[in-house]
Amino acid sequence: MYSLHLSPEQRDMRETVRDFVARQVKPVALRSDRLEARERPLPTDLLDQASQLGLRTLALSEDAGGAGADTLTCCIVCEELAAGDPDTAAVLAQTWTLAHVLFDRLMAPDQRERFLPAFLADQRYHLALASDEPGRDVALGIHYHRSDIADASFRTSAKRSGHGWIINGSKTRVVNAPLAKLFAVAVTTPENVTRTVLVPRDAPGVRVEISDASAAWQHGAPGSITLQDCQVPADHMLGPDEGATLAFELGQRMPQDLALNLGIGRAAYEAALDYAQLRVQGGRRIIAHQAIGAKLADIAIRLQVARTAIWQAAWASDHPSAVEDGSLPDLPLARMAKVFASEAVYQATKDAAECFGAMGVMRDMPLQKYVGDARICLHSGEPNSDTRLRVAEAIAGYQRITAPALAAE
Amino acid sequence: MDFTLSNEQRAWQMTAHKFAEEEVRPISLERDAICDPRETFNWDIIKKGSKLGFRTMAVPKEWGGHGTDFVTQALVMAELAKGDSAISKTFTQCWKWSHLIAAVCTDEQKRRFLAPFLEDDTFLLGKGISEPGAGSDNRLPPPEDIKAGLKLRAERKGDEWVLNGEKCFIANASVGKLFFIDARTDPHAPLRQGTTMFLVPRDTPGLRIGKVFNKSGWRFYQNGEMIFENARVPHANVVGPVNGSDMKAHEAGDRTGGDLFGDLELAANALGVCEDACAMALRLAHTRKQGGRVLFEQQGVQLELNRMHLLTEALRSFVMRVAWEHDHKMHSANPGLCMNFSTDVIQEVTELNLELYAAAGVMDARADKLVRDAIIWTHLAGDSVQRMKATRRLAKEAQRSH
Repeated sequence: MYSLHLSPEQRDMRETVRDFVARQVKPVALRSDRLEARERPLPTDLLDQASQLGLRTLALSEDAGGAGADTLTCCIVCEELAAGDPDTAAVLAQTWTLAHVLFDRLMAPDQRERFLPAFLADQRYHLALASDEPGRDVALGIHYHRSDIADASFRTSAKRSGHGWIINGSKTRVVNAPLAKLFAVAVTTPENVTRTVLVPRDAPGVRVEISDASAAWQHGAPGSITLQDCQVPADHMLGPDEGATLAFELGQRMPQDLALNLGIGRAAYEAALDYAQLRVQGGRRIIAHQAIGAKLADIAIRLQVARTAIWQAAWASDHPSAVEDGSLPDLPLARMAKVFASEAVYQATKDAAECFGAMGVMRDMPLQKYVGDARICLHSGEPNSDTRLRVAEAIAGYQRITAPALAAE
Repeated sequence: MDFTLSNEQRAWQMTAHKFAEEEVRPISLERDAICDPRETFNWDIIKKGSKLGFRTMAVPKEWGGHGTDFVTQALVMAELAKGDSAISKTFTQCWKWSHLIAAVCTDEQKRRFLAPFLEDDTFLLGKGISEPGAGSDNRLPPPEDIKAGLKLRAERKGDEWVLNGEKCFIANASVGKLFFIDARTDPHAPLRQGTTMFLVPRDTPGLRIGKVFNKSGWRFYQNGEMIFENARVPHANVVGPVNGSDMKAHEAGDRTGGDLFGDLELAANALGVCEDACAMALRLAHTRKQGGRVLFEQQGVQLELNRMHLLTEALRSFVMRVAWEHDHKMHSANPGLCMNFSTDVIQEVTELNLELYAAAGVMDARADKLVRDAIIWTHLAGDSVQRMKATRRLAKEAQRSH
């Protein structure tokens, strides 16, 4: 049954995180160094506190020591965190997602035994996925409704050597690169098969470069890594068919990225709503003017419709049977939500900033940051032009023969 | 309907184009990237531009300026903005107040202020209206609240006026040498009937410059605080009648000393930014490949380029028409409407450009800068108050013609 009732656990979780954000995150997020567009330092204290609350392991199964949160719960938490600080939300979401995918789904029992205890014991143990490579052309674009898709195999190579693997290559846009203690790295084996290998940060030959968040157009802690004759033991390689599982699981969790985007919009909305009730111009509080009232209504409408689309996509991820029995349409709900939400939130942040007049563009005020953060969401990851084309292929029932390398996306 | 430019207009346009490409554009991104808002400014570019006439070109010929017409001014603003929107605005801020001086200052004031302005390549002008508690209230004063609007007080003491209060967001505050300051001279009258405009030199005793605002766009352009603590201004520096500061908007006639020129100014500047964005997008579409083919081959890309260009060309038509109407002393709501329109156009066009770059996987700093610059239009040219103001002018013009 498609239900809009949140469970008591989900409501509790929302209250806990909202309270944490109000008490701990907001004061830090509104500090001038966090409002800078460039080189804003990562709030590591907040990440530590969030870890202690269990947010680093939110989606990891209860069996493995996490909270076992489903996609909808992760969406709720992500929105709350991002309403405080999107970078904090992005770092935690990446770690909790990979914790679930790697430990619960992809690792063999002996691999889990090797990596899980250290991960659980260390509040600063974060995870990263190193997939994207410089100059790699994976766009749909010109290949729309055509089968001649580009060769998407990875140039990063893994070669056998004695009892292990030697990895060579560079990876870009690696979320959590500066923090991660374990990287899941997509590689091509000598058999020309895409595999995923686990690379500890302290493995020989790993070099991490930190990129600044706005230049990289990513929230969280982006960076790149270079692997030069990097050596890992043989048992660090995930199973040969795990690429498809990885892609599927990450796809299931996509709505939480949209919830992060939504949280940015909500922060802007709440700021504008508060200000509109305080600021007096034109002889009355500005909320009492039609022009501002209608604008705030538009912001609220955009955010609420976006939330509905995101939650529905999350519900579909959590309840595959809802699609199977026809309760929900068999559509790419997360992609549809992404296009709508990213555009709606960007417009909402611009409208919210307008309520502040010139203060809306000042770097010592948060509004310009909300606009910039929403712009990053609009342009990070798959571009909306491509997402639209993928939705178009899906609604036309277009089937492309998937190259194995693409499945690892 | 003759769209041909005169030789003189074309010459100005070409000089501006060359200056923008060779001098302005090369420093545009580095200035934008400087974190401290006081350090983004650069005197070298101002001096070079000044020597070419870009600081003083709006001063009438009889007072020693170039006396360019509005069409020329629009062309030059757009060309300079193609190099850098904020640098263009720094020059044209001087034109705005040159118009005001020519329109409303006495000959004695013109002699005192225009001569040094013309002589000194570093003489910049500004005007202080906004205050922390008075933004929209200055633009559309509410009739039911006569206290609304600016609060900076000026009281007459013999041959002097004593000014007390604070201005914020004032353009060129940290670099200007002469400012027009609106101050309340009758606190019991509504804004328009109780405000007087003063010419205030930078070295006026009791005037100091506070912080320079740290904006997300237009980083070169200096917006600062001006603090008046018993600042003493001679009565000879009163502009127009006491309690009559709104002569610039009121009965504006052909004296586009501020509002009407300001509307054209923002629209023409937006046009330059849009031209830059269109050129960037076309260049990307023709050079960047995806799937082995240039982006231009894709329908989606062609449609985005189409949208960018049609908006830009529509804005160009509107801008040039408004400039022409100014030259022919025709009065309408068009300048305001054009300025409002330029907000929508500059934001959509620069956002489409950024979208094309981001979708191609190119994180281009200039594409990002153009979007941040364009956001400035919201509160200067396209917020609800600016739009309603244009509508009200429309109603007034309709009444006048009956």
